[in-house]
Amino acid sequence: MIGEALLVIGAAFILLAALGILRFSDVFVRMQILSKASTFGLLCVLAGGLITMDSANDITSILIAGLLHLVSSPVGSNLLARATYFAEGIDHHIDTVDELADNRSGPSWDEG
Amino acid sequence: MIDLAFTLLGLATICFGYRTLAGPSLTDRMTGVNGMLTAGMAGVVVHAVETGNGAFLPVLVVVGLVGFVGTGMIARFIEGHGR
Repeated sequence: MIGEALLVIGAAFILLAALGILRFSDVFVRMQILSKASTFGLLCVLAGGLITMDSANDITSILIAGLLHLVSSPVGSNLLARATYFAEGIDHHIDTVDELADNRSGPSWDEG
Repeated sequence: MIDLAFTLLGLATICFGYRTLAGPSLTDRMTGVNGMLTAGMAGVVVHAVETGNGAFLPVLVVVGLVGFVGTGMIARFIEGHGR
């Protein structure tokens, strides 16, 4: 019962992430809402599966999947956001402090 | 309860799919694809809980790896081409 409730909560958070991606107006805002809300939702769903399943094989698969998502999701988001920031022709605006503004010429590690 | 979770995940997949089709930039399309992959992973877990059979759970690891490699590849493509 607790496991199924966790499944529904996680699915609701993934739906919230989807609504945010549908409604928000800037590229970076949409990427951030995917990184936060859908990661929490997926981890809730995985915890629900972890509570419900009782075979050691299934529990190991769920644990590896959750750990992999926790490690790889920020790295992938950072790669995509950096490429988007330096790309030509993608409109974005940053309201707060822009710490990369004096480095607009391009990624320096691309020349090596 | 299980049906409610499947319904929410289906609605989320529709919203992500709209952003994938209509996103103004390639980054938005990749964001939508990542969201659909996340909803699909959650759907695999819900299906495993519904049937009590965890034979499809290793698919989660494969989908996570493929999504990460695809995101990195699209990021390199955007660096080269823009938009």
